[in-house]
Amino acid sequence: MKTSQIEGKKSGISQPTAIPEVAAGMAAECGARALLYRLLSAVFVEEASAEFLSAMRTPEMLEQLAEVGIGFDADFTAAPLAELVDTLAVEYASLFAASGGFPPVESVRLYGRYRHEPNFEVMQTYQRLGFVLQPGRHEVFADQLGVELMFIAELLERQAEALAKGDLIASRKLEKEIKRFWSRHLGRWVRGYARLIERAAMHSFYREMARFLRGFAEEEIAALGLHIEDADGARLEVPKAEVQEAADPQKPGCTSDAAPPGRQGIRRLQDLRLPSVPD
Amino acid sequence: MMEMTKLNRRTFLKVSAATGAAAAVAPRLLKAMELELAGKDVSPVSGVQRKAVPITCHFCNIQDGAIAYLENDRVVKLEGNPEHVSTRGRLCPKGNSGMWYSYDPDRILYPLKRVGKRGEGKWKRITWDEALTEVAAKLDEALKEDPNTIVLKYGRNRTGGVLDRFMQTLGSDSIINHTSVCESSKKVGMEPAWGPDIETPDFANTKYVLNFGSNVLEASYFHNPLSQRVAEGRVDNHMKIVTFDVRLSNTAGFSDEWIPVHPGTDGAVALAIGHVILREDLQDSEFINTWTNVTVDELKEHYKQFTPEWAEKISGVPAATIERIAIEFATTKPATIFTYRGPAKHLYGSYNEKACMMLPVMTGNIERRGGYCLPRGMSWPQPKPEPPKPAKHAYMNKHHHPLYPLASHGVSHLLPFHIADGTMKVNVYFTYQDNPVYTNPGARAVWGKVLSDETLVPFFVSMSSHMGEETALADIILPDCPYLERWEPESMPNSLWPWLGIRQPVHKSLGESRENRILMRDIIWKLDPDGSRGMRKYWEFKDGEDYMRHHFDNIPGLKEAGGLDFLKKHGVWPIYGKLDPRTGKIVDKTGREIRAEYGLYKKELSEEEMAGAIIDENGLITKNGKAIGIQRNGKNYVGFATPNRLINVRVDEWAKYGFNPMPTFKRIPWHETMREDEMILTTFKLNVHKQSRSAAVKWLAEIAHSNPAWINTETAKKIGVKTGDLVRVESKVGYLVTKAYVTEGIHPKAIAIPTAFGHWEYGRLATLKLKEKKPEWSHGQEDPDFNNVWWDDKGVHPNDIIPAIADPIGGSQAWFDTVVKVTKAGPNDKYGDVVADWDRHVEAFKEGLRYAYTGDLHRKMHPEMAHWKGPEEAGHESEGSHL
Repeated sequence: MKTSQIEGKKSGISQPTAIPEVAAGMAAECGARALLYRLLSAVFVEEASAEFLSAMRTPEMLEQLAEVGIGFDADFTAAPLAELVDTLAVEYASLFAASGGFPPVESVRLYGRYRHEPNFEVMQTYQRLGFVLQPGRHEVFADQLGVELMFIAELLERQAEALAKGDLIASRKLEKEIKRFWSRHLGRWVRGYARLIERAAMHSFYREMARFLRGFAEEEIAALGLHIEDADGARLEVPKAEVQEAADPQKPGCTSDAAPPGRQGIRRLQDLRLPSVPD
Repeated sequence: MMEMTKLNRRTFLKVSAATGAAAAVAPRLLKAMELELAGKDVSPVSGVQRKAVPITCHFCNIQDGAIAYLENDRVVKLEGNPEHVSTRGRLCPKGNSGMWYSYDPDRILYPLKRVGKRGEGKWKRITWDEALTEVAAKLDEALKEDPNTIVLKYGRNRTGGVLDRFMQTLGSDSIINHTSVCESSKKVGMEPAWGPDIETPDFANTKYVLNFGSNVLEASYFHNPLSQRVAEGRVDNHMKIVTFDVRLSNTAGFSDEWIPVHPGTDGAVALAIGHVILREDLQDSEFINTWTNVTVDELKEHYKQFTPEWAEKISGVPAATIERIAIEFATTKPATIFTYRGPAKHLYGSYNEKACMMLPVMTGNIERRGGYCLPRGMSWPQPKPEPPKPAKHAYMNKHHHPLYPLASHGVSHLLPFHIADGTMKVNVYFTYQDNPVYTNPGARAVWGKVLSDETLVPFFVSMSSHMGEETALADIILPDCPYLERWEPESMPNSLWPWLGIRQPVHKSLGESRENRILMRDIIWKLDPDGSRGMRKYWEFKDGEDYMRHHFDNIPGLKEAGGLDFLKKHGVWPIYGKLDPRTGKIVDKTGREIRAEYGLYKKELSEEEMAGAIIDENGLITKNGKAIGIQRNGKNYVGFATPNRLINVRVDEWAKYGFNPMPTFKRIPWHETMREDEMILTTFKLNVHKQSRSAAVKWLAEIAHSNPAWINTETAKKIGVKTGDLVRVESKVGYLVTKAYVTEGIHPKAIAIPTAFGHWEYGRLATLKLKEKKPEWSHGQEDPDFNNVWWDDKGVHPNDIIPAIADPIGGSQAWFDTVVKVTKAGPNDKYGDVVADWDRHVEAFKEGLRYAYTGDLHRKMHPEMAHWKGPEEAGHESEGSHL
C-alpha cells in the first residue's frame, strides 16, 4: 500500500492529500473492513435471521471463511435453515441473553455488572459523532459487542467516503476515533471474551464466529498499531507472543501491510474480501 | 538546648490526657460527611454533587426511606433518607447493596420462552409482542373454561393493588399470597384481639422488654427502624431486655438475659408469666375491666391453670425465673413485649402469639409511651374505575381456605397439594416476586414437582427479574424490574409516626424489562385492544407515574404540599422535622425530638361523628350499622378496630370452630413423643440476607455464603460431632447433609440452620456454578467480579426436608416443629446432599389436615372444648381434600 503526503501551502498548514489511486485503495480497504465489522456485529447483536444465515452459508462465504481457518461443523452447514434459525436462537439466548450466560456487554466483562462506565462512555462517543442508538428486534446496551462493532463499521464507511473524496484530514480524524475506540473499549475486552465464547459455545457457528472475532480483533489491533491490554477476565490466557507491536507513524493507512507474528490460521485483513452481507 | 523527652506510646497517651480542654476548643472544620451532607453526596473523584433520587427501599419488606445517588445515570450509592421519620437516614447492609439487583449480569432483561423440557434451562428470547400474544391466547382459553383456573401467586407484593386489579379484571378469585410461610399466625393471633395484625413496641421509651423469639437487631419485621429504637431504649432509657429464644441470636446476645426455651413453648412461658402477674394482683384492673371483653376475675380464674411449674415442665425455663421475670415486667413501667417468628411459626402459633400479647394487655401497657402500641399507617385511593370482585369464589385464595376458616391471610403453602389433588384446577399460573420452589416447605420436592408437571400446571408465566428456582421452571418469563426501576406507593407501620412514600425509578429500566403495572396493563390491552370486553377501562393509564398520580394527587394534606411531585422530591410525606446529626433523632425547630401520639383508642369521637349514632347497653357506638366507637365512663371513644371496639381476650369466633377462645397453649403432639436422640429443626435469617433473593448480591454473598447447622455442645458430644464435621439431618420426609457448628448458643434439643443459602438457581453467584471445574455451557464464567469469589461453599438449603404443616387457626407453616434425627454423616454422605420425597410430603400434609377444625385430631387436642358440637356449629360443610 502506497501513501503520500503533500505539504499544502494554504495558511502555512500542511494539507495532506492523497494520490487518487492510493486513496481509492485505502477506501476500498476501509469498505472491506466495514463489511467484516458488520458481519461480526450481526452475529453478536441479536439472534441470526434466516436471511443472514443464508448469506453465511453461501459456498463463496464458506470458502472464504475456510481459507482463513474458520470451519463450521455440519450442525451449521447441513441443518435445514428453519431448524438452524431456531437452534441458533436458543444458543444465542443461552450464551448471550439468558441468566447465567455471558452477556456480550463491555460493562459486564470489565466491571462485572451492567450499565457501568463503558456504557456511558460509548454512549457519549456515539453522540459526539452524531449517532443515536435505536432498538433493533431487541433493546441492547450501548456497550453491547454488536453495537460497538457496528459503530466501527459506521466510522469505516465514513472513512471510506472521505477517502473517496480525497479528504485525508477527515480520514485521519476518523482513523483516530477508531483507534481511540479500540484502545478504550473493544480492544480491552473483545479478545478475552471471544476466547470464552469459543470454549463455551455448543454450536459450531458461535464457536467459529468467536474464533473469527478473536482473530479479527488481533489483526485489527496490530494493523492499527496499538498496544492494548486485554483487560477481560480471560486475559491471563493471552499468549505473550500475541502482544502487538507499536504503531508506525509512517503508516497512516487503515492497516499495516505486514501481519504481526505469532498468529496462525488467521489471514491478514486484505485477504478477506467478503461478499456484501445484510446487517 | 533542651532535650526532648523520649516519647513512647505510654508517654504520648499521658500527654493526650492533658490535651482534652485544648482539643475541645480547637477549630473543627471537618465533619463526618454522611451526617453533614444528609441527603446529598459528592463524587470522591470529581467532587461533583451526585444526583439524589429519594426512594423507598425494597430489598426486604421493612420499607426504609432511602436515597439513590447517581453518577452518569447509574446508581453508585444507596443511603438512608434523612427526612424519613421511621428510618432516619439509616439503611441496613442489604439496603446499601440494592443496586446489585439492577446491574446483576444474571438479571433477566428480555422476555424468554422455554425451549425443551421444563427446568432444562434452555430459552429463546422473544419479543414483548410475541410474549404478550401467547400469554393472552392462553388466558383467553382459560377464561372460556373458568376464570378461576387463572392462578396468580405472589411473594412480595408492594404494587399497591395492581395484582388484585389484574386478577379482578380477569374475573379470577385465585390470587394467592405468601403470608402463611411468613407471619400469618402472628397476624391471626392479634387481629381478632385488637384489630390490626401487628404491634409497634415503643422501644425507645420503654423500661422493660420481653422479647419472644424475635431477632429484631438482625432480621425480623421492621428491623432497621426498630433496632434503632432498641439501641436508644437501652442507651438513653436504660431499659432491660429479656429474650426467649432457642438460639443465642445477636438480639439475644444484646439482651440482659437470654433464656433458652424448648422449641415451640414460648406461649406456655407467656401464660405462666401472666399467671404470676394475676396471682400477685399486679395487673392493671382498670384497663382490663374498661377496655377488654373479660373481667379481671374471669382472667384470674382462667390463668390459674398456667402455673410456673407447669410451664417449667414444658419449656425448661425454671419456675423461679418465670416468677422473677413476671414480677419485673409487671412492676416496671412502661414495659412492652415483642414477638416475631419464634412463637408464631408452630402448629398452634396463633395461640402462642395471643398468649404473649396478653402480657401488655393485662398490665395496661397498651398505647402508652414506652408501651405496646398500635401500628400507624396511611392509605391511598385506587385509580377509578375499579374492577368488581370476581363472581365466583376459588377453592382457596389469599384470604380463604375452607379447611382453615380463621386463617384470614390464607394458607398458601398448601397450594401444591391442592393443585395435585385437583381442588385447584390450573390453566394459567402466574408468579410474581415469589420463589416457593426454594422458600416454601417441601421446596423442590413439593413445589418443584408440581410446577414441573405440565399436566397439573399447563402454562406457567413468571414475572421476574431473576432466574430463581421457580422462574427456572416457567414457560414464559416476563422480565420485571427490580425495585430501583419501579413506581410503587408505600406506607408501612414501622414506627410511631405514619407516613406515605413512593418508590420511583431512578433511571430507565434496563434492557426490555417492564415494571409490573405496565406489563399487566399490556397483557390486558392485548386481551382487550379496543375495550369491547370491558377490561381495558381499568387500565387506562399512560405509565407508572400517571398511575401514581391517581394514588397521591388528591390526598388531603399531601395534595396541598404538592401531591406526587412532593413525594418525587422527598420520597416521603409528611416531613415531621429535621434529622439531628448529633443524636440521630428527628427534631422540631427548637431541637427537641418530635413526640409520637399515644392513646389512639382513646381519641374521642366528635359531635359530627356522633350525629345519628346509636349506643347500645355495652357502650358500643354504631352509625349506619357500623361500629364506630365505644362509650366508657361517659365518654365516646373511638376504641379498638374490632367489631366490639374492645380488646378481645376471649375470641368468640374461635370457639365456633372448636378452638379455645381464651389464651391457651397446646404442645406440639409429636414433640411430646420425641425420642432421646431426636431434635427439633429451626431456621433463621442472618442480618445480610433475606429469604431467597439476596444470594445473588455480591457484597452480601461475600459476607455470608454458607450455613452450617448450629448444634449445642452437649448434644454434639453425644453424637460425636465437632465444628466442621458433616452431619446428616433426617426428618420424616427426607434428609440433608451439612456441616456442624458446635456452640453453647443453642438449646440442646434444637438444631438451627440459617436460610438463604444452598441455591441451585438464582444465577452464578448464588449457585457458585462459576466454581465448578467442569464447564457448564449454560452457565457463564470468568466475569471479572466472579474472579474475586474466594469461597467455594454455597451452603445447604433445609426446606426440602421440612414438611408442610399449617396452624389450624392462623394457617402459618409450622416451620419450627420438624423433628429430626441428627447423626454424624456416614461414608456415603456428601456435603450438600438433599433428598426428599413427594409421597412422604403428601403423607405429612394429610397428617397436618387432621389438626384442622374438620380433622379427627382437632377435638382430641381440645378437650376443654367438649361442648363444641363440631364443624356443623360453624355452619360450614367439611370440605376435604381429595388426596
